[in-house]
Amino acid sequence: MAQEVTKKQAFFRMIGFGVASAAVYAVVFQHASAVTEVFSRGGVYAAAPIATVFLVSYVHGGFASNLWSALGITAKTQTKTVKATQTKRPEVRATLNA
Amino acid sequence: MDVALDTLKFIDLTTSSIIFLFIVGFIGGLVSGFIGSGGAFVLTPGMMSLGVPGTVAVASNMCHKFPKALVGAIKRFRYGQVDIKLGLVMAASAGIGVQVGIKIQNHILEMWGQAGSNLYVSVSFVAVLVIVGSYVFYDAMKSSKNTGADVTPALAKRLQSIELWPMITFKTAGVRISLWFTVPVGFATGMLAATIAVGGFIGVPGMIYVLGAGGLVASASELVIAFAMGLGGTINWAMHGMVDIRLTLIILAGSLLGVQLGAIGTTLVREVMIKIVMGSIMLIVAVSRALALPKYLVQLGLMDTAPETVAFMDKASFIIMCAALTLGAVIILGAMFKARRANARLEQEEAFGQA
Repeated sequence: MAQEVTKKQAFFRMIGFGVASAAVYAVVFQHASAVTEVFSRGGVYAAAPIATVFLVSYVHGGFASNLWSALGITAKTQTKTVKATQTKRPEVRATLNA
Repeated sequence: MDVALDTLKFIDLTTSSIIFLFIVGFIGGLVSGFIGSGGAFVLTPGMMSLGVPGTVAVASNMCHKFPKALVGAIKRFRYGQVDIKLGLVMAASAGIGVQVGIKIQNHILEMWGQAGSNLYVSVSFVAVLVIVGSYVFYDAMKSSKNTGADVTPALAKRLQSIELWPMITFKTAGVRISLWFTVPVGFATGMLAATIAVGGFIGVPGMIYVLGAGGLVASASELVIAFAMGLGGTINWAMHGMVDIRLTLIILAGSLLGVQLGAIGTTLVREVMIKIVMGSIMLIVAVSRALALPKYLVQLGLMDTAPETVAFMDKASFIIMCAALTLGAVIILGAMFKARRANARLEQEEAFGQA
């Protein structure tokens, strides 16, 4: 159940980030020639492409992360928890055998 | 607003070139997210094959590389795989390596021209990839036959036992080693990054076999180095107005999807898979670059081969390079699919056992 809620949350976040990402891409590619010309003037204008890729890495990165989560492709994080329970088991057995 | 672009510097984008860049970006991102680097080497020649000038291709590639590395590093940091301290210490000496690498490149360019410079790049590619790639692949096969878990290599153990001031502890990597042993690894990473644009082919094996970090931590920390070096390089290129933001954003659209999938993949598969993917890619790319050598030898007048043969070998070289990246992606996706299926089966068995 918890997995489903997470998937649902991821889906809505994916939509939110996806809209933001699409908006950034639309703005840049709607005025592609002008943006490319301004961004390649050099000097202080160097800040513009760098700021843009940081913005894209946040919005599109957020979209990508939530897309994989919404599709159920998530990292395996249970390994450590499984190990922790395994180390506790012998203690219980020892008490029972004694 | 209609602005005419400098056609010598910026290409006209077609649907096919957009799709090509997006797909290469995705596959490159997937490989980078998994092994820490290795996705960028196809992009520069790929963009040049579309007609993008070399400097713009290098600059636009670098401008996509650092945000991709940042996103990948954040993702893998959440999985507890990134040793930020190790990444930053390595990045500092890598920065010096980059500067020295650029100086050597410029010197060769002045002495032997563009063909000489290209020959130097290709020979470095082949030499490093054959030597390091063979060892990584051999080690991967050896550990794959055993448990698949990482064992600290003998050289790293020996270096870690030498108490040479200042000693640094890298907590996540579980390594305590003298700073002086990290410097040559970082330096070589930077030199290789300046020469063949993929410093990780030295950085990751260096962190594993010389410093003694595990494959997971080494590949994840490499993303920190890639971010630091990529940001520095991008500032430099952008100051000279060489970044084509359209190309950067298209590649980034694919690579941010790929890098996160690759990062997720590292938690699903056995650690040895990182070495298998890295070794395979390195050896195939070595073949690709070896095929490019005759072109430059002919240009320098050191070899006499028919132009048709040279053109064929050049084309084959690019195709094999793309194949290396694709094979890496296929191995990663295949291993992820198998691991997910095995996990699902295990969960099903556990549920059955409980019932």
